[in-house]
Amino acid sequence: MSAMMQPQIILLKEGTDASQGKPQLISNINACMAVADVVRTTLGPRGMDKLIHNEKGNTTISNDGATIMKLLDIIHPAAKILVDIAKSQDSEVGDGTTTVVLLAGEFLKEAKPFVDDGVHPQNLIRSYRTASNLAIEKIKELASSIEGKSLEEKKKLLAKCAATTLSSKLIGGEKEFFATMVVDAVLAIGNEDRLNMIGIKKVPGGTMRDSFLVNGVAFKKTFSYAGFEQQPKKFVNPKILLLNIELELKSEKENAEIRLSDPLQYQSIVDAEWNIIYDKLDKCAKSGAKVVLSRLAIGDLATQYFADRDIFCAGRVSEEDLQRVAAASGGTVQTTVNNVVDEVLGTCDLFEERQVGNERFNIFSGCPSGRTATFVLRGGADQFIEEAERSLHDAIMIVRRAMKNSTVVPGGGAIDMEISRYLRQHARTIAGKSQLFINSYAKALEVIPRQLCDNAGFDATDVLNKLRQKHALPSGDGAAYGVDINTGGIADSFANFVWEPSVVKINAINAATEAACLVLSVDETVKNPKSESAQGEAAASAMGGRGRGRGRGMRRR
Amino acid sequence: MALAFDEYGRPFIILREQDQKTRLRGLDAQKANIAAGKAVARILRTSLGPKGMDKMLQSPDGEVTITNDGATILEQMDVDNQIGKLMVELSRSQDYEIGDGTTGVVVMAGSLLEQAEKLLERGIHPIRIAEGYEVASRIAFEHLEQIANKFEFSAANVEPLIQTCMTTLSSKIVNRCKRSLAEIAVKAVLAVADLERRDVNLDLIKVEGKVGGKLEDTELIYGIIVDKDMSHPQMPKQIVDANIAILTCPFEPPKPKTKHKVDIDTVEKFQTLRQQEQKYFDDMVQKCKDVGATLVICQWGFDDEANHLLMNRDLPAIRWVGGVELELIAIATGGRIVPRFQELTTEKLGKAGLVREKAFGTTKDRMIYIEHCANSRAVTIFIRGGNKMMIEETKRSIHDALCVARNLIRNKSIVYGGGSAEISCSIAVEAAADKYPGVEQYAIRAFADALDAIPMALAENSGLQPIETLSAVKSQQIKENNSYCGIDCNDVGTNDMREQNVFETLIGKQQQILLATQVVKMILKIDDVISPSDY
Repeated sequence: MSAMMQPQIILLKEGTDASQGKPQLISNINACMAVADVVRTTLGPRGMDKLIHNEKGNTTISNDGATIMKLLDIIHPAAKILVDIAKSQDSEVGDGTTTVVLLAGEFLKEAKPFVDDGVHPQNLIRSYRTASNLAIEKIKELASSIEGKSLEEKKKLLAKCAATTLSSKLIGGEKEFFATMVVDAVLAIGNEDRLNMIGIKKVPGGTMRDSFLVNGVAFKKTFSYAGFEQQPKKFVNPKILLLNIELELKSEKENAEIRLSDPLQYQSIVDAEWNIIYDKLDKCAKSGAKVVLSRLAIGDLATQYFADRDIFCAGRVSEEDLQRVAAASGGTVQTTVNNVVDEVLGTCDLFEERQVGNERFNIFSGCPSGRTATFVLRGGADQFIEEAERSLHDAIMIVRRAMKNSTVVPGGGAIDMEISRYLRQHARTIAGKSQLFINSYAKALEVIPRQLCDNAGFDATDVLNKLRQKHALPSGDGAAYGVDINTGGIADSFANFVWEPSVVKINAINAATEAACLVLSVDETVKNPKSESAQGEAAASAMGGRGRGRGRGMRRR
Repeated sequence: MALAFDEYGRPFIILREQDQKTRLRGLDAQKANIAAGKAVARILRTSLGPKGMDKMLQSPDGEVTITNDGATILEQMDVDNQIGKLMVELSRSQDYEIGDGTTGVVVMAGSLLEQAEKLLERGIHPIRIAEGYEVASRIAFEHLEQIANKFEFSAANVEPLIQTCMTTLSSKIVNRCKRSLAEIAVKAVLAVADLERRDVNLDLIKVEGKVGGKLEDTELIYGIIVDKDMSHPQMPKQIVDANIAILTCPFEPPKPKTKHKVDIDTVEKFQTLRQQEQKYFDDMVQKCKDVGATLVICQWGFDDEANHLLMNRDLPAIRWVGGVELELIAIATGGRIVPRFQELTTEKLGKAGLVREKAFGTTKDRMIYIEHCANSRAVTIFIRGGNKMMIEETKRSIHDALCVARNLIRNKSIVYGGGSAEISCSIAVEAAADKYPGVEQYAIRAFADALDAIPMALAENSGLQPIETLSAVKSQQIKENNSYCGIDCNDVGTNDMREQNVFETLIGKQQQILLATQVVKMILKIDDVISPSDY
């Protein structure tokens, strides 16, 4: 350890690694930039995917920034901040996770030469904060609202937003197809805040195009006992009974024991037990329900009983699915079969068991309350469907966001260029150091269009210059110009319907600036020797956002 | 692996245990992935077509499988490489959805990757290649629709169905009796098909096999075969017009589920208990007799006492019949599964025209046939063959044939086989390529080349000159403007696939193209592979 080479007053415990000052700051910035480099190539419609393979043998192929960051398992304390902002972006708006990491990395990169030159980090932080506030104001000003449009029009606009998100994903080739599905699903659940009302079911096999949206609930056929095949598999307007009890012949009390002194009583005990279950089944049948679902097992006896009475039953339906059926059909889950009145029974237009790929699915469609929707995703491989699910999740979040804060901004780097221009202009009015910093902030924002070009294999400098020229037009006509990913030129993103909800950008800029400021404000790391053995995890969380030092004192062997 | 170095050249520790991880990125990652995908495809390449070879696979516990079914080979190979696994899943997807063409889809994906590699070397962006492939796959998809033929079949005229199933079977080891097997498959599917809903529940077709006999003895039974024998050797071996009681309750005194104890302290009590037990048996048998049952099929066993009683009362019985079989029997005979003796009524009995026990050859094995059922919605295909491996392979082949028949019932369109559809698509895609400006044009053209891989492999496997044959057929297709010239694998003397009656289902072919393109896109999109280094 180099710290040992010079005489020093020993303040801390032996082995404690403490590094401080400028070099430490620079080293933190370097680490963050390295992480941003990992996700850099995933940005945009021509972005690439990452295959991450962990020790357990699970493989993930993803293009989603937050997923990649999470799976990278980063332990560097400063770099961890980037993981956190990606996560927060994911939970807050659901999309733009790559953008936020990239922006934070770029802000830090721009700050690095200043730090090297001896600028006090607090100066930088102050200017960055100002710049971010200005940028957010500008976004709000530029955003156009889709409020007040008719439902049809609104649907189309929302589909455009969803399509923009999807275009960078693996299912980008079918983005229109999925975008409409997503919009339908989101509109179906209405203003309901529960996202779990949108179910996503994955069935390997088939092509993406075979995916479909059920306006209701669908789930895989549950485990069934003999006699199941004799039940009817299709009902129009059935009544649905939802249960949370076992319909099985079993001992009613776990620890009860019966002592019989007279063998003749034997039959009565047996009968009593059978009567209990028959009583339950009779009540189910009498309620008029044609479909009986239970979260717990429905035994072979009950299956055959229902088969005899032309009733469909499914046991061990997962909690989530049962709740969805309840919400969709307007029924309530019962914990007893006593007093089953009509009000607690749900209904739907059509219940059907259908073959999907290699599986049979129970599908409830045309539900009265209509507040649920289920995607049935198809695809050639498990990883493929997993990634499709993540992409759809992003798209769903975006559409929901766009519905709530119904303002959109042009994508394709257009909004970033416009803010950048605005900040540069603003910077010229400031006297003092701050001018430089805001200018560099503005430069950092250009990373989005630049990376879009790089990923697509275009000449970034050329495209950026064209964009700058457009955005600098005094009339302001060029404000919506962004990278045209198809031709390698520039195009009006707004007119081409490359739209993002403004909240995505606002949140991204906010989070990225915060993260950059946080990293900049750290000037000392004290690393406890004990944490070395604990491989960072406990240490990192205990030390919060502290940097790790100059990469010294690492025991590499 | 290290992501970054500080100014002294020391790596940062950014990832957990990063020394133990390896990372491959950029073009290297793509090349490595493509190589893995190609390797898997190369293994299957020789299995394609009627003259394709089989693979022998030995599992860790010594079990041997011989097959040329793509999905099965890949499944058993236990591929470890990540990209290899994607190919395995690709084949499985085809198997789930279509059931046939599992080899073709992998060969096709492999050849798409091979073409992509060439384009990557020329510096084309991988996403552009993928996009080009997607455009091309759509062209091919539509072209297939155009060249597809619809054909009509009815319950009386099943010839086209049989022909198509024969094409599938011809590539299997069982091809010497493909005609009879195809007939069996088609009849079985038609028996269980719901022609109105165009739905076929393959669960209703039971495929049973028994070692011994020869493949030609394979038969279709409109009913069920149970690999059991009568519970008592002296029971009648044949029952005409059987009324079957299908029971899920055992022939024994009922037991309460609650823990119980019977206190017996006197001899009298023991006597009563004993009598009661006997009475139970008696009642049960009587009950069955009363409702008119002439055969009892029971999910559970019964002890010798009950067996003896049944024998005495002239009530044949079969015990230990599995739940799935029981269900099929119930469906086939139109009976109801009865969980309790008290519920037994005459209406719940199943009806079968003939129930017989059949012995095979010199072995002691016997099976019970339940035939001429009231409702023959459940059928059994009973396979005979020289050894277990043969029977397993036949089962898989029959499964493929069943799937093909099912697909035809769902969608009546067919295309011609023998690689003719691929060649025709290749020509169409090639022609369409020139209309696309930009880099995609190259990718589309590469797609057309990749399509040629299937007829090429067919020719190669059949011992023909691949390039010569392919170009001859291709020029013939263009010259005569037809889409049914294929590779003459069987050396019949004509490459007109209509005459050879080589058909494939349209949806199967379309699915192959779409699935292969999808997976190739996925592989091309990866530019960064992070994995633990011991892999």
